[in-house]
Amino acid sequence: MIARRDMRVRLAARRELSPTCFLLELVTEARFEAQPGQFGMLACRPGRDPFLRRPYSLAAVAARDDGTACELLVKEVGTGSRALREAAVGGELQLLAPLGRGFDLAAPKGGRAALVAGGIGLPPLLFAAERLAAAGRPFDLFLGAATAAELLLVERCQRAVAAVGGELVLATDDGSRGERGVITEPLARRVAAGGAYTTVLACGPTPMLAALTRLAQSSRLDLQLSLEEPMACGVGVCLGCVVERADGRRVPTCQEGPVFRANELAERWWECPST
Amino acid sequence: MPVDLSVAVGGLRLANPVLTASGTFGYGLDLLDLCPPEAVGGVVTKGLSPLPRAGNPPPRIVETAAGMINAIGLQNVGVDAFCRDSLPQLRQRRVVVVVNVFGETMDAYEQVIRRCEAEEGIAAYELNVSCPNVSAGGMEFGHDPQQLQRLTARCREATDKPIWVKLSPNAPDLLATARAAVAGGADALSLINTIRAVAIDAERRRPVLPRVFGGLSGPAIKPIALRMVLEVHRALPEVPLVGIGGIETGRDAVEFLLAGASAVQVGTATFRDPSAPLRIIRELEAFCAAQGLGAVGELVGGLVWP
Repeated sequence: MIARRDMRVRLAARRELSPTCFLLELVTEARFEAQPGQFGMLACRPGRDPFLRRPYSLAAVAARDDGTACELLVKEVGTGSRALREAAVGGELQLLAPLGRGFDLAAPKGGRAALVAGGIGLPPLLFAAERLAAAGRPFDLFLGAATAAELLLVERCQRAVAAVGGELVLATDDGSRGERGVITEPLARRVAAGGAYTTVLACGPTPMLAALTRLAQSSRLDLQLSLEEPMACGVGVCLGCVVERADGRRVPTCQEGPVFRANELAERWWECPST
Repeated sequence: MPVDLSVAVGGLRLANPVLTASGTFGYGLDLLDLCPPEAVGGVVTKGLSPLPRAGNPPPRIVETAAGMINAIGLQNVGVDAFCRDSLPQLRQRRVVVVVNVFGETMDAYEQVIRRCEAEEGIAAYELNVSCPNVSAGGMEFGHDPQQLQRLTARCREATDKPIWVKLSPNAPDLLATARAAVAGGADALSLINTIRAVAIDAERRRPVLPRVFGGLSGPAIKPIALRMVLEVHRALPEVPLVGIGGIETGRDAVEFLLAGASAVQVGTATFRDPSAPLRIIRELEAFCAAQGLGAVGELVGGLVWP
């Protein structure tokens, strides 16, 4: 396991990607490594508003001469993300990272991986795509969003895919770019056509992940899901972010996840039942 | 001059007065790298029941102004798994372990204690009679003085170790429950647990938590917790108290000691800053040094009444 640290980070840059989404580049003197799928708990502003840190999946982590740079993708949805929109570039924030269990990238041995990202679920797949590209491992990237404007960092995704001769498949709900409809459809067609993929890595809205889970259950794909749950601590002690495993145990997403193999989880994990 | 941080509380001598609160530090071994359990005054475990409990379905937490509401529902591994999987390492690290005990019946409380009595390395028990998030047990004992006295007396018979009773801020008569716990044989009182609270989603016109109610914690409750510690201390000045409620800094801890607590527990602060207990110990020491105090114990009950 890579050692986690609670680090002072400098907000080096903020880049607008869409009306609601932006990319943060954070720089720290600390040296740390991370695996795609791991996340950090970011204190979005000093003080008590917001009160809790926010979990953000790491979109990139790279060593620099003077420390480490990392990237986060943020969608403005509430107090924390609004604070990040307003945070001064050059100012400092506090980041506890890397946390949790990332994707098992060794899995697609000899086979081909499909990376599936829905909306703001892109960061762990972008991180995985650039790592796979750097390692010369083949993959295709499926990118879905509500509208063309919400397809994020498409050119960068295209570069990663092109580096290993893969395909970038796009879909939007309104058909403004790529195929009209949900991104799981083109993936399902390729899977149905036979033998396209051994491994699927995915992050996105719950209905997308539920659809992929059903697909994997009927086609024996090695499906790895990056889940998002509200969490207070990110380190396994508040028990706020539980998901139900196949054996019925409720486990903290932050600690045993956020990446789970679909077959580790309850068959219908997205409907955690009451006791 | 070095400050003596040690305190005596409810039958225990602690190296410093800062413990981690139940339900905010797992079983003491989750944050070895960020907050080693042997460095704090003591670790109060997640509430343990005779059998494992799955807890409530999510969502379980909501952020509020300067705090949060939780409805975890006492998810825990059960006392056997704790004794088997966590206690040996806690013992090896010489951690002061306070086992937080929960049951749906009086028998269940006693069962947890009797199971723990078979083990070395447990310093004391804290009875959880104040959890607002379960349908049976917990709060019903904490709200009825007669039942609380009986429960405490039952547990008292099961062990010679110190028993702390964690009081509910939601009880109709706080002082009556405090007296009942002492009459039943409690060595100390911990206060307060979370305050029953609600969060509402205005757009959906629904409660945010599926169980509607949860427990509020964090700095938002600190003034209420201080008031309750002060009231109990003034009514029962001989009874050792462990102050809990929104402590985030050494100065917060000092305020609880002045109000009459002999030690404090840090809870929700650990979610925001996993090293918070260590920082609070340092800040407490610095406060004492700046005040020219030789021992942190000099602060206990030191409030100047106007």
